[in-house]
Amino acid sequence: MTGMQAFPFLSVLTLLPLVGAIVVATLPRDNPRLVKATALGFSLAVAAFAGLMWAAYNVTGDRFQFRESYPWIPQWGVKFTFAADGIALVMLALIAILTPIVILASWHDAERTDTGEPGRRSVPAFFALLLALECTMIGVFAAADVFLFFVFFEAMLVPMYFLIGSFGGARRQYAAVKFFVYSLAGSALLLAALIGLWVISADQLGQATFDWAKLSQLDISQNTQRWLFLGFFVAFAVKAPFFPFHTWLPDAGGAAPAGTAAILVGVLDKAGTFGMLRYCLPLFPDASRYFAPMVLVIALIGVLYAALLAIGQNDLKRLVSYTSISHFGFIGIGIFAFTSQAGTGAVLYMVTHGLATGLLFLVVGMLVVRRGSALISDFGGAGKLLPVLSGVFFIAGLASLSLPGTAPFVSEFLVLLGAFSTNQWVAVLATLGVVLGAGYVLWMYQRTMQGTLNPTLTEAPRMRQDLTRREVVVVAPLVALILLLGVYPKPVIDVIEPAVQATLSDLGVSDPVPSSAKGDK
Amino acid sequence: MATRLLAAPELKLPDIDYAALAPMLILFGAACVGVLVEAFVPRRLRYRLQVSLAIGGLVAALVMVVVVSGRRFTTAGAAIAVDGPALFLQGTVAVLGLVAMLLIADRTVEPGGSFISQASVAVGTPADRQQSSQPGATEVYPLALFALGGMMMFVAANDLLTLFVALEVFSLPLYLLCGLARRRRLLSQEAAVKYFLLGAFSSAFFLYGVALLYGFAGTVQMAGLRRAVGETDRNSTLLVLGLSMLAVGLLFKAAAVPFHVWTPDVYQGAPTPVTALMAACTKAAAFGGLLRVFVIAFPVGAVDWRPVLVVIAIVTMLVGAILAVTQTDIKRLLAYSSIANAGYALTGVLALNREGVASTMFYVLAYGFAVLAAFGIVTLVRDPDGEATHLARWAGLGRRSPLVAALFTFLLLAFVGIPLTSGFTSKFAVFSAALGADQVALVIVGMVSSAILAFPYLRVVVLMYLSEPAEDTPTVSVPGVFTATSLTIGVLATAVLGLAPEAVLDIASQAAGFVT
Amino acid sequence: MNLALEAAPAIVPATGFLASVWLLVAIPLASAAVLLVLGRRADRWGHLLGVASVGVGFVLGLSYFLALRGTADKVVIAKLFSFIPVRQLQVDVALRFDPLAAVFVLLITGVGFLIHLYAVGYMASDAGRRRFFGYFNLFVAAMLLLVLGANYVMAFIGWEGVGLASYLLIAFWYVRPSAATAGKKAFLMNRVGDAGFLVAVFLMFAHLGTTDFDAVFAGVDALPQSALLAIALTLLLGACGKSGQFPLQAWLPDAMEGPTPVSALIHAATMVTAGVYLIARSSPIFDATPTGQTVVVAVGALTLMIGAIIGCAKDDIKRVLAWSTVSQIGYMFLAVGLGGAAYAFGLIHLLAHGFFKAGLFLGAGSVMHGMNDQVDIRRFGGLWRYMKITWATFALAWLAIIGLPPLSGFFTKDPIILAAFNQREDWTGWLFGGAALLGAGLTAFYMTRLFVLTFHGPKRWTDDIEHPHESPPVMTVPLILLAVGSVAAGGLMATSIPDWLTPLYGAPEEAHGRLGHWTVTAMTIIVVLLGAGLAYLLFRTGTAKQEQPARSPLVRAARANLYGDAFNEAVFELPGRYLTRALVYLDSKGVDGLVNGLAATIGGGSGRLRRLQTGFVRSYALTILTGALVLVAALMAVRLG
Repeated sequence: MTGMQAFPFLSVLTLLPLVGAIVVATLPRDNPRLVKATALGFSLAVAAFAGLMWAAYNVTGDRFQFRESYPWIPQWGVKFTFAADGIALVMLALIAILTPIVILASWHDAERTDTGEPGRRSVPAFFALLLALECTMIGVFAAADVFLFFVFFEAMLVPMYFLIGSFGGARRQYAAVKFFVYSLAGSALLLAALIGLWVISADQLGQATFDWAKLSQLDISQNTQRWLFLGFFVAFAVKAPFFPFHTWLPDAGGAAPAGTAAILVGVLDKAGTFGMLRYCLPLFPDASRYFAPMVLVIALIGVLYAALLAIGQNDLKRLVSYTSISHFGFIGIGIFAFTSQAGTGAVLYMVTHGLATGLLFLVVGMLVVRRGSALISDFGGAGKLLPVLSGVFFIAGLASLSLPGTAPFVSEFLVLLGAFSTNQWVAVLATLGVVLGAGYVLWMYQRTMQGTLNPTLTEAPRMRQDLTRREVVVVAPLVALILLLGVYPKPVIDVIEPAVQATLSDLGVSDPVPSSAKGDK
Repeated sequence: MATRLLAAPELKLPDIDYAALAPMLILFGAACVGVLVEAFVPRRLRYRLQVSLAIGGLVAALVMVVVVSGRRFTTAGAAIAVDGPALFLQGTVAVLGLVAMLLIADRTVEPGGSFISQASVAVGTPADRQQSSQPGATEVYPLALFALGGMMMFVAANDLLTLFVALEVFSLPLYLLCGLARRRRLLSQEAAVKYFLLGAFSSAFFLYGVALLYGFAGTVQMAGLRRAVGETDRNSTLLVLGLSMLAVGLLFKAAAVPFHVWTPDVYQGAPTPVTALMAACTKAAAFGGLLRVFVIAFPVGAVDWRPVLVVIAIVTMLVGAILAVTQTDIKRLLAYSSIANAGYALTGVLALNREGVASTMFYVLAYGFAVLAAFGIVTLVRDPDGEATHLARWAGLGRRSPLVAALFTFLLLAFVGIPLTSGFTSKFAVFSAALGADQVALVIVGMVSSAILAFPYLRVVVLMYLSEPAEDTPTVSVPGVFTATSLTIGVLATAVLGLAPEAVLDIASQAAGFVT
Repeated sequence: MNLALEAAPAIVPATGFLASVWLLVAIPLASAAVLLVLGRRADRWGHLLGVASVGVGFVLGLSYFLALRGTADKVVIAKLFSFIPVRQLQVDVALRFDPLAAVFVLLITGVGFLIHLYAVGYMASDAGRRRFFGYFNLFVAAMLLLVLGANYVMAFIGWEGVGLASYLLIAFWYVRPSAATAGKKAFLMNRVGDAGFLVAVFLMFAHLGTTDFDAVFAGVDALPQSALLAIALTLLLGACGKSGQFPLQAWLPDAMEGPTPVSALIHAATMVTAGVYLIARSSPIFDATPTGQTVVVAVGALTLMIGAIIGCAKDDIKRVLAWSTVSQIGYMFLAVGLGGAAYAFGLIHLLAHGFFKAGLFLGAGSVMHGMNDQVDIRRFGGLWRYMKITWATFALAWLAIIGLPPLSGFFTKDPIILAAFNQREDWTGWLFGGAALLGAGLTAFYMTRLFVLTFHGPKRWTDDIEHPHESPPVMTVPLILLAVGSVAAGGLMATSIPDWLTPLYGAPEEAHGRLGHWTVTAMTIIVVLLGAGLAYLLFRTGTAKQEQPARSPLVRAARANLYGDAFNEAVFELPGRYLTRALVYLDSKGVDGLVNGLAATIGGGSGRLRRLQTGFVRSYALTILTGALVLVAALMAVRLG
C-alpha cells in the first residue's frame, strides 16, 4: 500500500457524483446552461479523479486495492467496504469516461424528447438523475461487501427508471415499468440467495458477515451452492441481459433517450456480467462448474439469436439493443469458458463494448434527433447529406462487428480463442456470430446511409446539419479510444489479467495445456 | 370481572406495580379526563384542551415506558407482563399513536377537522348538513386515547382474559371513530358498521377460543397454558379448537387472509387519520398479541400449528399483493398493501426465535411510520368534495406539487423495499430471521410477492410523474403544522431506519425476550 | 511453456536498415488517415499524396529487397510491441520480411503505384477522388500488413483490413444500390472465409499454444493428422473467401461495381491473390497433410474450369475479366496445392498475372473512358483505330494471358500444367492436368473473343458516341509499363524467382513425370491456338448487338454463372430471411409474450379475486367462518397426520 493508495479513493469516487446530483437538483430550473455546466463539471471531476486512481493502482500489487471499511449495521455484519480489483477498476474507468460524454451528448434531451417533440421536463432533474445514476453504478463496482453491492445494485434502478420513464420517447412508461419490475423480480431472488449465504456464514463463522473476502472462504455443500448460484445468476442474467431474460432491453433501449441508452447498455448492464465474475464464480465454484455448460449454451443461443433478430429490426435503437444482447452472449461465453484468455477477453469485452455500443447509441441518437424518427425505413441515402456523421456511424458499426483494428476485435478474439480450447464447438458456432455481426451492421448502414436518397429526408430541415462542434467533442474521444485500444490494448489487459487469474484460481481451474506440449510429455 | 373470580381459586387482591402499569393508566386517565372535558368545558376551549391532553398523555406514557424499560416481571396477578416485547411495542404504539394523533388533530387541511360529532345522524338530513359545516367533534381524542390504551394493554396482557378485555377496549372506540368522517358520510358509516359487525364476530371466536382453552388447561395464564401444552395427558382436541378460534381473533386484527375481508372497505371508508391509526397501531398491537400467544403460550409441541400459519402467511402475502395490482383507489391500494405487509410480519413471527421476535417488532415499527406518512399525504390531495383518492386523479401530481409527489414516491419505494429505506431493512430483518429458521418457502414467496407488489406502487409513480396532468388535477393543500410534523416524522423515520437502523435494531433485539 | 515454441528456430531480430520495415505499412496508412480525416480540405492535393505514399513505398520495398539479399538467412523479424499478452497467448505486433514477403511487397507497391497513377486520370472528374485515394492507400497498407505479418493474427488483421478496403471501394459509388449491395455481398462472403481463418488460428493455439509462423511450423510434426487437416481446411476456407474460389466465388464478379482501378488492383492483381499467399505461407502445414493438398488442388482445378466456362458466356468486359481472374487464381491454387516446386510456379503465375490482368483491366478502363463508360463488348468493335496505345497494350496482355510464347503467361502457366500432370502419380494427375490443359484452351477462347469483339470487326457503338478518344498520358503510361511487364516478367521470373524462394520451398528440380516437358508445351500451344482460332473465326465479323437466345443448356448455365448465385439465394439467403422473420415473431410473441403473459395472468387473477370483495358483510362473515373452519380442519389434520 503506497501512500497514494491509502487515500479513500473509492468512497470519494462514489460520493462525488452524489454531491453533484444534489447540487444540480437544487439549481434553478430556469437556468439550464448553469445546470448543464455544473453537471458536466462534476462528471469531469469524477473522470479526473478516476484517472488519479488508475495511476495509483499497482498492477503487480494485491488483488484488491484501495480497500476501505466503515461500520454500518453491526447487527447484520454489514460494513461500508469498498475495494477494487483490476476488473472493477477498468469498469470504474469506463463509467468515469462515459458519463461526461453522455452528459454532453444529452445536452438537449431534457428540453425535447429524442423524436423532437418538445417536453416540458425539468432540466435539473435530468442531470441530477444522471449523476445519481453514476454514483450508484460506481458503488456497484466498488463495493466489496455483498450487502453494499446489493444496495447499489437495487438503487441503480431508481434513477434509470425515471430517466427512461420521464425523459424517454414513445412507450416510455411501459418500458420503464417493465425494466424496473423485471430487474426487481431478478434481484428478489438475489436477495433471497444473499440472505441464505449470510445465514450460512453465521453458522460457519459464528458471526454473520457480508464481507466478500470472508464469504469466499466459506465451504458450502454442493446442493446449497447450486440453489444460491441460481439465485445470483438469474438476477445477473436478467440485468446483463442473457437470453431468454432479454426482452426488456429492446423496449428500454428503444424508449430511453440515446444518451441514457448508451449508459444503460454500455455500463449499467455490465453489473450483471461483473456480478457473475465477482460473485457467482468465486462464491460458488462447484456450482459454477456444474452449471457452466448450461450457461454456455444459453449464451451461445443469445449470440446467434439476438444477431438474427438485430438483422430483422426496423428501429435503429431496438436494433442496437439486440446487437448488445448478442455481445452479452459473447461475454457470457468468455466468463464461463474458464480460461484466462476467455476471462480476460470477457472483461475487456465489457469495456470495449461499452465504448463501441456507447458510440453507436450516441450516433444513432444524433441521427434520430435529425430525422425525428428511429425507423430505418425513414432513412436511406443519408450519407450524401451527412458525410461526417455517416462516417462516424460507419466506424461505430465496424467496432460493433469487431473489425480488427478496433478495440472490440481484441476482446472478441480473446473470448473465442480462449473458449475454443475448452469448448471447441461453442466457440466454432459463436464464430458464426462474427458473420452475422457483419450482416446486421452492413445492412443497417446500407438501409440508412447508402443507396438512393430518401426524398422525405430533404424535408427534415436538420438533416442538412452535419456533426456540430458539440457532437464532435462527444464522438472524438470514443473513436480515439476504440482505435487506440484496438491497436495497443496491453495496458488494459495487464490490469485485467491478474484479477481474472485470481478469479479462476478461486474457481479451481487452470488453463488447458496445448495438446502438442501434452503429446510430448 | 366474573370470569376472573372463577378463574382464581380464592379471592385476594393481587399486588400491583403501578409504575409498570403507568403508561396504560396515564392514557386511560387522560381519556377519562377528556370525557369530563367534553361534559364541562365550553365548546370553544375543548379543541385546544383535548389535543394538548391527548398529546401530553401520549408523551407521558412514552416517557413512562422508557422509565420502566429494563425491568422484567409480571404484575397485577401475572395479568400484565412487563417485558421487552411489551415495552417495545407499547413504545411503538405510543410513538405511532402520537404521530397518528397529530393527523387526527389537524384542522387546517380539512376546515374543522376530518370528523363530525354525531355519527348517528342520518346522512343528508338538515342536521347532518348543519353539523358538517360546524367545527368537528372533540370526542375523537378521548376515544383515540382509549383505543391506544387498550392496545398498550393488549401487547402486555399476560393472560387470555386480559387479552380479550384489551381487545375490546381498543376495538370499540375504533368502530366508532370509523363512522365519524366529515366527508363521504355514507361510506364512513358503512365502514363503521361493517367493522363493528365483523369485529364482534371475530371477538366471539376469540372468546370462544379462550373458553375452550380454559377447558383444556384449567387456566388462562400464558405460563399455565405453556405448561399444559407440555403435558400429554390432556384432551388436545380442546387445544386445537381453542387455539384455532383464538388465532381467528388475532389474525382478524392483523388482517391476515382469509380474515382480511374487512380491511379494504374499512380503510377506505374510515376518516383517513383513523385509517392511519389502524394501519399503524392496530397492526403493532395485533402482532404483539400474536407473538405473545404463539411464541410463549403455545410452543410448537402437542400441536404443530406452524405449517398452518405458514400457509396463511403465504396466502396473505400473495393475495394482498395480487389484489393490490388492480386497485384504483389509493386508500384501498394501501389497504391491500397493508394486508401483504401483515404477511411479511407473520414471516418474522414464524421464525419462532429471538431474531423472529425482534425482527417482527422492528417491522411493525418501520411499517407504521411509513404507512402513517403515506396516509398523511393522502389527506393532502384534495378536490372540492374532499380527498381525491381515485388514482386517476393523481395523474401528473409530480408536476403540480413536486415535493409531495417526491415524498410519496419515497414512501412507495420504501413499500417496494428499495434499499436505503426502512422498507428494505425491515423486510431484510424478517426474511433473514425466517431463513435462519429454515423457512425457505416463506422467504421465496415473500420475495415473489414483493416483486408483484412493486407493480401497483410503480403505477402510482407512473401516474404522478410520467403522465401528463389532467385539467382538474386535485390541488395539494398546504399541510398545517400538525400534519406537516407527522409527515416529517414518518418520512424521516423511514429514511433513518433505512440508512442507519442499528440503534433501533439493537433495542429490538435486546427487547426480544419474554417473561411469563 | 510449450515445446513447439522451444523447438522454434532462433528468431532473427531485424537490425539496421531492415528494422524500419514497418514504414512500409505506416506510410500509406498515415497518408490514408490524412486524406480521410482532413476531408474536403485535402481535395486539391489529396490524390498526389496518395500516389506519392505508394511510390515511396515501392522505393522502400525495393531497397529492403536489396538489403534482404545481403543477409545470410534471408529472413528478418521486426518486433514492434506486444499486442495481446495473456498467459500462454503472446501475440506481438511483429513483421516478417523474407523472400515470400519481399516478392509480394514489390508486386503490391509496384503494380499498386502504377494503378494509383492511372487512377489520378481515371478519377479526375469524380468529386470523391480524395476519398477514393484515402481508401486506396488504406488498402495498400492493409495488404502490406497482410503479407508482412509475422504471425497469423497480424496476417488476419491485414486480411480483414483489405476486406474493409475492398468493401469501401466496391461500394465507392454508394448511391448506386447495386454498388452498395455488391460491397455488402463481398464483405459477407469474405467474412465466411474469415471465420474459417479465425478457427484455424484457434486450432493452432489449442494445439501449439502459439500463432507465430516459425513456432507453428516448427510444431507441425508434433500434430496428429486430424488436427493438421482441420487447420489446412479452415485456412483453405479463408483463402477461398478472399480469392473468390469455389464455393465462395460469387462475390468477385459483382465486385466490378467498383471503379476500374479498384478492379485492377484489388480484384485482379493483389487482394484476391491473398488466398494463394496464405497457402504458400502455410506450406509446412499443407505439405504435412496430403489430403489437405488434394482438396486445394481440387478446388483450384474446379474453379479454373468454372471461371473459364462462365468467362466465355459474358458480355460485360469487366465481368469477363473478373471470371478470368477467378479462373487464373484457380491455376494458382492448383499449383500451390501440388506443393513442392509447384509453390514457386503458383507464385510466378500470381506475379505475372498481376501484370497482365492489371493491364487488361486498366485497358478496359481506358476503353470505357473513351466510350462513355460503356461496358458491353457487343457495343464496341473497331476501336483499335481510335485508341492505339490501349489497343497495343491490351493486345500484349491478351497474348500474355493466353500463354503464347514468349510472353509471361507461357512461362508461368506451362509449368503449372506440367506439374499438374506429373506431380501426382495416380489418376488424379490426369484429371487435374487435363483440367489445366482444357482451361488454357478456354482461356484462349474467351480472351480472344473479348479482344476481337472490342477492338476489331465492325463498329457497334451506341449512337451517343461520335468519336471515342484515347486516354490521357497519366493513364496510358501505366498501361505501357504494365504491358512491358506482361511481356518480359514471365521470362525473367521463371528462373530467378524459384531460386529466390529456395529458402522456403527448396531448390526447383526438373520434373520427371509421365509426360515430358516438351510434350506438355506442345499440347498447350496447340490447345491455345485452337481456342484462339475458333474464337477469331466466330467473332471476327462481330456479333449481334443484343443478347442472343442461348443455343445450349451449357450456354444458359454459363450465362447464369453456373447457377452459383441462384444456389446461394435458395440455400442461404431466402431461408435466412424467413428464419429472421420467424425469430422476430417468436421473440415478441413467444419470449416476450411469456413475460407479458405472466403480468396479464396476475392482473387477471387480481381482477377475479376482486369480485370476492363484494362489500356485503354477510359474505365477509361467511369468508371468516369458512376460514375458521379450514383453520380448525388444518390443525386437526396436522395433529392427526
